[in-house]
Parts: sequence; structure tokens; C-alpha cells
Amino acid sequence: MTVSAAPPNNPSVETPQGKLRGRASIKQAASLVPRSVWPLLAFLVLFAVGGVIRPNLITVESLIGTATFAIILAIASFGQTIAVIQAGIDLSVPNTIGFSALSFLGLVGPLGPAGAFVGALATGAVIGFFNGIVVSKLGLTPIVTTIAMNGLLFGVILLVFNFSELTAIPEFIVAITSAKVSFLGLEMAAVLPLGLALMVVLQLLLSFTGWGRSLFVVGSAAEAARLGGLPVDRIRVGGYVLSGVLAAFAGIVIVGYYQQASATMGAGYLLSSVAAVVVGGASIFGGRGSVVGTVGGALVLAQVSTLVTVLNLGANIQQLIYGVIILVVISLYGRQGRG
Amino acid sequence: MSVLASSSASAPAPTRLRSGGGMVRLRREGAIAPVSAFIVFLLVYVIINPELLTRFQLQTAANLVVPLALVALGQLIVVLVGGIDISIGAIMSLCNVVFATQLEAVPPPVAILLSLGVGLGCGLFNGLLVAYGGLPAIAVTLASAFIFGSLASEVLDRPGGGLTKEIYLATSGELVPFLPVSLVYLAIVAVLLWLLLQRTALGRHIYGVGSNMESVRAAGLNARLTKLIAFGLAGMVTSVGAMMLAASTVTGDPRSGDAYLLSSIAAVALAGAAFTGGRGSIIGTVLAACTLGLIGNLLFFAGINSYWQYVISALIIFTVVGLPVIWSKIAFAVKGARA
Repeated sequence: MTVSAAPPNNPSVETPQGKLRGRASIKQAASLVPRSVWPLLAFLVLFAVGGVIRPNLITVESLIGTATFAIILAIASFGQTIAVIQAGIDLSVPNTIGFSALSFLGLVGPLGPAGAFVGALATGAVIGFFNGIVVSKLGLTPIVTTIAMNGLLFGVILLVFNFSELTAIPEFIVAITSAKVSFLGLEMAAVLPLGLALMVVLQLLLSFTGWGRSLFVVGSAAEAARLGGLPVDRIRVGGYVLSGVLAAFAGIVIVGYYQQASATMGAGYLLSSVAAVVVGGASIFGGRGSVVGTVGGALVLAQVSTLVTVLNLGANIQQLIYGVIILVVISLYGRQGRG
Repeated sequence: MSVLASSSASAPAPTRLRSGGGMVRLRREGAIAPVSAFIVFLLVYVIINPELLTRFQLQTAANLVVPLALVALGQLIVVLVGGIDISIGAIMSLCNVVFATQLEAVPPPVAILLSLGVGLGCGLFNGLLVAYGGLPAIAVTLASAFIFGSLASEVLDRPGGGLTKEIYLATSGELVPFLPVSLVYLAIVAVLLWLLLQRTALGRHIYGVGSNMESVRAAGLNARLTKLIAFGLAGMVTSVGAMMLAASTVTGDPRSGDAYLLSSIAAVALAGAAFTGGRGSIIGTVLAACTLGLIGNLLFFAGINSYWQYVISALIIFTVVGLPVIWSKIAFAVKGARA
């Protein structure tokens, strides 16, 4: 990809062997479009397909419904995106979600809502810090580290929150997640603008700050980054801390939106968070990805879910389609050596 | 070899290598730590709970660890060729329900063959996309995890199937007093795999592909075919694990494999296998699976809250995998200080 991006004005130049280069220049032109656009386009296509099948699906309400479902998955996948960009993976997302959600509810009593919020995010930071230290200092594979961490958290969840009744959801969390707000004249759950705002902040952080750019460098060529004088270990640890904090935030959001918490509440996000990131155009080898793309990926998955529900195909078909979509996406740009 | 054989001076060398071969191989494959960990674990277990050595408890313990050990062996084969199988839990669920439902329709040997065939098919599906499609194993198996999982629920949507007491006795009973028959099956699979990996050309190619794909290809061997065969083989071994689980629980369950995704990777990690490929031991994997599988039991008998098993498993992984790294760092620092 980097090679083809080097002569950016090539597509406009007419070459003698125009016919031969036709395909190549289309490819080059396509490579100039940011990858995060493709999942969004795919979502629009799926949305239109839904409209063809059921014309009453093309409504703003239906769009908002799908987008709300998508944004929750996206929020749960933001941390995963950060981890994948720096050539890692975070399989401790599920139980980080559960742990932060339950600690949030547990801490509301003694610390008050704001204190509990900060406390829950801090647990995510500690989890991420530990992941990062083990990966960068001990040199364990990210997959193994985060799987072990996921197991450890499950034990801690069961030991600490053993069947305790945690049902009182503080007002302000409801206010920023499931409460209806009016935004641009449209009724929607507050989690939607919240998630989009978070997306913008994270994308700016990734694209326009030195630390954000360094995550990509570490992800695509860690050794070169080290030789170039970047503190690779510190950047890695920082990436995992951010990933942990975002997963913890997702836990609080999910508690607020669904108004319940349980030990296994994050289990569904193990594979689907990676799926949203991959469909969003990130490279599983690191160095490429964006939170905007992840939102697009989540929108695609959510729209599939909406279509499957409307057509009454059942959850099995939905899983099957998820699998096929991932296969299509990775065969489009997941080739080893190219991605 | 011919050079060695023609030189009479070097004739004793091969025999000397042979005599220390076992230990050397264990160390090279990183299996010393998991084997010692298992021995310590077993001693502690027998001291805390001497009743393990009664017939009933031996049988229960064996039935608990054998499916995990088999699935971990499947994961190991994929890891040896430098891959990872995220879909292994789904393959297990699918083989499990195929076995359980087919028992109602066809004689048991046919059901066994069908289940093995499905495992092989799933493995080949992954293997084709990874070896011949050039796609990353983690992304391919993420997609197929969704696909196989959906197929499993399609075959059987809730726990059930035609498992009988006879099948339970044939797979999970005792061969002779004090010898659970499931251990015999595990031993047969493990020994056959060991012979295949250590004593055949194909086995050496599997290790070779994992440690250096380019050299294997440059040597004129078919690296892609080797990878494909490894994935297919892994699918079949996983299928054996799935059938053992179905038989010992006397049910087919479309979600039965879910828990084995993370624990199979954990067992392979604990066995000291390299996730970059080319290094990993069969005995280490089997014993690592036994250790992880029995921690819950041990805690139960020690009168400790068995939720601690998740925490302790994670700590064992961090310790056993991390200690050698810390040790070599300390050794390096000491050496540096002395010089």
C-alpha cells in the first residue's frame, strides 16, 4: 500500500499503455480513499438493500435504531482498535467490561457516582497497564497475555461480586446513555451522540497527536521505531492502558443502557469487538486502523443484524453472515505482505 | 547424513546425541517448565486429596481433562505451523453436535467417522484460506468461528442428542480398575501425534514450516500443503476431543466448545510453545492441559472457593511463561556486571 501511495498523481497521468495500467490506476485511485470510508459505504449499501426488501425500513427511526445498536458495539471495540493498531490484540475486553461495570455499581455507594465513574475507569487503566507491562517487558504474546488476564478478571469478578445485588443505576449514567435526547431535531438515545463524540476525540488523538502517530509506527515496524529512538515499550504500555480504559468505559455505558450487569455480560464482545475492528479496515498485523472505520464496521454488523431480524432469519444466519463478511473483508485487504 | 556416515571419527556422535535426546528435546521445545509444574501440581494434589487415587475420582478427573488435552493438542498443531485457531471452540461445538445428532440416525462408528470428517472439513476450510489464500490465520479463524458456530446451532439448537449410557461407558468408564478408558484414548492420540511429528517427514516439515517458512520452501518442500495438512489434522484431533466431551457429559451441546477456545490457547502457552511457530511439545501440552483442568478440583478438595481457579490458572501461566524471560534477563544483567 505504501508503495502505490508514493506517486499520488499517477491516475491523472495518461500513459501510452493506458489499457494495461487501467486496472492498476483504479486500484491506486481506490487506495487514495481512506479505508474507513469503505465500511461506511458498505453500510449505506446494506441500508439501501434493506429498503428494497422492506421499503418501510428506510426511515430515520430505523437508521437511529441500528446506529444506537452499532455505537454500543463500537464503544466496546474502540479499545480493541487501539490495541490492534499497535500490533497487539486485547482479548481481555469481555471481562474488563464486566469488571468495570460491576465495580462501578459497587463503588457508587461509597464514592458517589462521579467517584465510582473515575474508579471504574481506573480499574480499566490498571488492567491495561498490566497487559502492557507483560507484553512489552516480559515479551509474552499479546493473545496469551490478554487471555490469561481475561481469565484472571473472571475469577476476580466471581470472588468480589459473588451474587451481590447490584441494581441501582445512578441517574447521571442513565442520562448519558439510555435517556432520550433531542439532537438536530431527532429523538435518540443519549449514547449515540456520546459515542460519536468519543469517536471524534479518539480519531483526532490518533491522527493528529505525536503519541497517536507513534502507535501506528510501533504497530507497523516496532524494530525500526526502536532504532529510530522511540520509547517503544512506553508507547505500547500507553496503548494498552488506553485500550483498558476504553473497555472499562464501555462497561459503564453498557450498564447504563441495558440497566443490568452480570459476571458474563462482556462475553459476547470477545469475538464481535475484533470483528468490528477487522470489518472497519484495520490490519490484524497492526499499523493500520481507525476508530471511524471501527464505527463503520460496527454499523455494517448492526445493519446485518437489523436485516436478519426484519426478515426473520434467526440468530444462526446472522452469525453465518458475520463470518462471511469478515472473510470478504480480509480477502479484500488482509493478504499477508500487503496489509 | 552421508557425510557423517562416511567419516568414521564421527560415528559415536549420533549415539551420544540419542542418549540425552529426551531431555534435550524437552528443553528445546520449552516443555521443562510445564512438566515440572505438573509434577509439583500433582504432588500437592495427592497430598491435599489422596482420594484422587481412588477409582471414582480418577475417572472423574480423567473425563474432565481429556477433552481439554485433546483440543489443546489440536491448537498446538496449528500453533506449530505459525498459526492460531480462534475457531477451535466452534469446531468443537460443531463436531460435538454432529456426533450427538448422528448417533440417533446411524450406528456409532459411522457417527464417529462423520464427526471426524466434519472436523477435518473445518480444518481444511481454515487451512485452504490460510495456506493457499495467503490470509492471516487469526482473521480467517475469527470468521470461521462465526460460521462454524452458526452451523453448530443449526444442527442442534439446544442441548440434546442421542448419547447413551453404553457410549459413556465405552469412552469415559474404566478399561481395567484404576485405568480410565478416556486416558487410554488420549494416550493413543498423543502417541500417534508424537510419532507423526517426530518420526515422519511430514512431522518435521510441520515444525519446519513454523520455524522458517522460506527455508522450507527454498528446500523444495511444499510448505503450503504442509500447512493445509496441519490445519486438517488439528480439526480431526479437535473432533476427537469434542466426541469425548459429548460422551462424558452424555449430551450434545452447540455451545459446548465456547469455553475451550481460551483454555486451549492457555494450555498451549503454558506448554511453552512459541506462537511464532516451530516450537512446542506434545507431552508438555497434555500435562499443561491436565494442570489447568484440575485446578478447580484441587481447590474444591482444599476447601478453597473454587472461583480462585481462574486467578490461579492465570498466575500459573504468567509465572511459568514469564519466569524464563525474567531469569534470562537477570542472568544477562549478572553477566554484564561481571564483565
